[in-house]
Amino acid sequence: MDDVQPENLITFLPFSTTPNIPPPPEDYTPHRLQHTPLIIDNGSTNLRWGFATSSEPRYGSNIVTKYRERKTNYPLMLFGDAVEVESGAKTQAKTPWEGDVLLNFDALENALDYTLVQLGIDTPTVEHPVLMTERLCSPVHSRALTSELMFELYSVPSLAYCVDGIMSFYQNDQSTGNSFTSDGLVVSFNTASTSVIPILNGKGIISHAKRIPWGASQATDYLLKLVQMKYPNFPTRVSVAQANWMFREFCSVSPDYLSLLRSFEDPSVLRSHQKIIQFPFLPTPNSSNGGATGNGDEKTEEELARVTERRREQGRKLQEIAARNRMEKLQQKESDLTYLLSLRDNYSPSVSKREWDRKLKEEGFDDEEIFEETLKKLEVDVKKARKKEREKEGGSAVGDGDDVDEPMEEPSFPLVDIPDADLDPSSLLEKRKQKLLKAGYEARFRARKERELKAIKDREEKAEREKQKEIEEKLDSEAREVDLKGWAKKLRGEQETLMVRIKDRAKRRAAMNDRKSAAKQERMKNIANLAAGDEKGVSRGTGKGRKGNAEDMFGADDADWAIYRKISLVFVSYQNTTTTVSSDEEEDLAQLQQVEQRLLAYDPTFTTQHTHASIVSQRSALLNAFRPAYEEGDAAGHNRIHLTTERCRVCEAWFTPAIAGVDSAGLGEVIQNILSRFNEEEKARLIKNVFLTGSPSQIPGIAPRLYSTLRPLLPPEMPIKIRQAGDPALDAWKGMARFATMDEQFGKVGMSKAEYEEMGGERLKRWWGSNWNGGF
Amino acid sequence: MPPKNLKRKVTATDGTATPHVPSLAEQLSYLYLPRPFKNPEYAKNLNRRAKNLKNVMGQERERERADREKRRLEKMEKDAQDAMDVDGNEVVEDEVPSYLSIEAPPSVLPQKHYCDITGLEAPYTDPVTGLRYHDKDVYALIKEMATRGVNSIVK
Repeated sequence: MDDVQPENLITFLPFSTTPNIPPPPEDYTPHRLQHTPLIIDNGSTNLRWGFATSSEPRYGSNIVTKYRERKTNYPLMLFGDAVEVESGAKTQAKTPWEGDVLLNFDALENALDYTLVQLGIDTPTVEHPVLMTERLCSPVHSRALTSELMFELYSVPSLAYCVDGIMSFYQNDQSTGNSFTSDGLVVSFNTASTSVIPILNGKGIISHAKRIPWGASQATDYLLKLVQMKYPNFPTRVSVAQANWMFREFCSVSPDYLSLLRSFEDPSVLRSHQKIIQFPFLPTPNSSNGGATGNGDEKTEEELARVTERRREQGRKLQEIAARNRMEKLQQKESDLTYLLSLRDNYSPSVSKREWDRKLKEEGFDDEEIFEETLKKLEVDVKKARKKEREKEGGSAVGDGDDVDEPMEEPSFPLVDIPDADLDPSSLLEKRKQKLLKAGYEARFRARKERELKAIKDREEKAEREKQKEIEEKLDSEAREVDLKGWAKKLRGEQETLMVRIKDRAKRRAAMNDRKSAAKQERMKNIANLAAGDEKGVSRGTGKGRKGNAEDMFGADDADWAIYRKISLVFVSYQNTTTTVSSDEEEDLAQLQQVEQRLLAYDPTFTTQHTHASIVSQRSALLNAFRPAYEEGDAAGHNRIHLTTERCRVCEAWFTPAIAGVDSAGLGEVIQNILSRFNEEEKARLIKNVFLTGSPSQIPGIAPRLYSTLRPLLPPEMPIKIRQAGDPALDAWKGMARFATMDEQFGKVGMSKAEYEEMGGERLKRWWGSNWNGGF
Repeated sequence: MPPKNLKRKVTATDGTATPHVPSLAEQLSYLYLPRPFKNPEYAKNLNRRAKNLKNVMGQERERERADREKRRLEKMEKDAQDAMDVDGNEVVEDEVPSYLSIEAPPSVLPQKHYCDITGLEAPYTDPVTGLRYHDKDVYALIKEMATRGVNSIVK
């Protein structure tokens, strides 16, 4: 299996870089009392702001956080990228936008505060006319609150709203002259939506504009969902920010989605399209440097060897200790023995019986007999221990005690033969004892003899069987040498029948789980028959109950029990996996294994791929290319994400939102709808100038794809021209700045404070670049 | 090359020395910077809770309906007045678009089915879970996922 991925395809997740420190606040003096227009491009992701006379706006992510550091208890307020600095601050970050709608005005206020502080404004009111962006047909609630903030909190002299897409179009307008009378179709890609706005004679026809609720943030979420579904057991949690990075880096629009998908049927094509992202991982505990997998394996072997060595040493030490203990005990016993012997030798010849008894009692023996017995026992023990020592030192351990022929002395039972009548009571007791002993001894003797006979017989049988096996093997090898192919074919036939049988059993097992399958119905029939059989027996009898002479003869015949095989559900597990194996299956599997082993050994064309085990566990090549499976210990591999179809699938959603579950028309259809509301001549003017703007429009492949989508929808003689903004992210701001500085209309498009107080915040002055709802 | 250990920028908080060395975050914070441009008399309605999206949308819808009603009434009045006029060239003012009306309609094109697992074309659907799949191997994967109790994503 080619699990080794080419190194050049693997990209590592970017390290968290230090956020760029924003430039210090501008010097306000050039603008003091100048009434330079203040341009704010309020975007869902990024906020761009600046004076109209600057060439470049300042920008930052539109996030604000109010945070109190735990350690120093110092309250902070951070904006934009600075939020990344404090990890605790990120969780409390708020953004003024929720998708496309401006909702959180505290956050907006703080963000605007930041922008004004950065511009160095220190006058009691903001003395500059303001031009701000809105979303297409922004809800009046958002506008009302923004106007309120602007007029009441900052006291701006005038405020104008515009749509960012139109201003970007204005910026890229290639017509010369003072008036703006171009036509075109603006496709504006935003964070949470994509809007299409027709522009005729320099005026935005908002009533004919359309908005698709799919933007970069939805695409990021979709990508994250796909990745999580593909890797449900991924070790680390993939965050939204990482998904965003993946989206920006790897996703693109394919010019012909369907044909691309069809080409993916071939796993090698799929693999060539994949991008691999390596997440940070901890090396496996065995390897000390977490290098490539090869090193890790070797180290584990060494480790294993070391562990076994250690264990063996410990075993040896224990053995030594045990031996030492035994030696000590033996010595102790020996010394005891010698002492007692010496005692006996010293005392018995010369001393009288009474003295002997007294001496014994001193030693702790009540009687001479007991003394003799202990002596004898000690002797026997010592002798046995000595023998064991000798054997141990001899080297090889001796086999089980049964086969060692201890010359068991034939103990004598003299009293047994003497008839009862001649003995006195104590001797009777003796005799009984001896009879028992004798019986025991004889029984043991007989058992030993039987065992020996059995061993001999077993050995003979084994030799027989081996001889038979040899004969079989010889026949087999002869057949094999004579005709390898035929032999192989015969064996393969056997293997196949076995596999078929196993598969059938598995199928039957699966069918058992299905309520309506034929197998289940058959089972029910069998059970019903059994029950009915009983009843028939009863009815044949005299009365109603079983108490009649109708006996249930089930089980008398051995064949009856076979019915349990058919109705038993014991081996059907609820999870449909064959964890328990019945005895039949075991036989089959064992046989299969034998056959396969022989085939493996002798048939060159039969490889491990053909064995039953590998066939069962094989995943299709396509699935393997789609999501490669890594070995158990491969930590690096387990922390990889492979992106293949997801790369184009996510971006395809702009053209077919239904792919992601959004019930909306895609770009092609929307443009078609919009164009249908104009007459032919206007259509031609619009379609000659399709303009893509917005940061997500930088996704590679959008323009060609849009062209091939639109071309079939329009008459072939109508020229279609698609172009992109020069600077998709900043062009809206630049257009606004240009308008504010160069166009004299700027003074007329703003709503003054007086008008605000008269009409309220929900209204705006309608002009060619603005929304129409609430306009006057 | 194995990736370096991710090092987070540690904000150095020097607690022992008496002059408080500001951390990076503190340097970037603008909480205490003067903001003279703010109108101190502006009494922000602190009781106002930020409306959530649902409320805002509901409000929009209500307003649009009210607007449309009003316009219709006006039109009827105007028609009644202009019934005497010969040319009834009414200036059909373009319908004022609102946030909701501007939304793209659902698609009427026939939808292609894509596999929920692999993203390729999916001619088949699993009757139990409703997932679409590309071929029999993907189907085996679906069944395996179902037995393990993985919740499939509702599309």
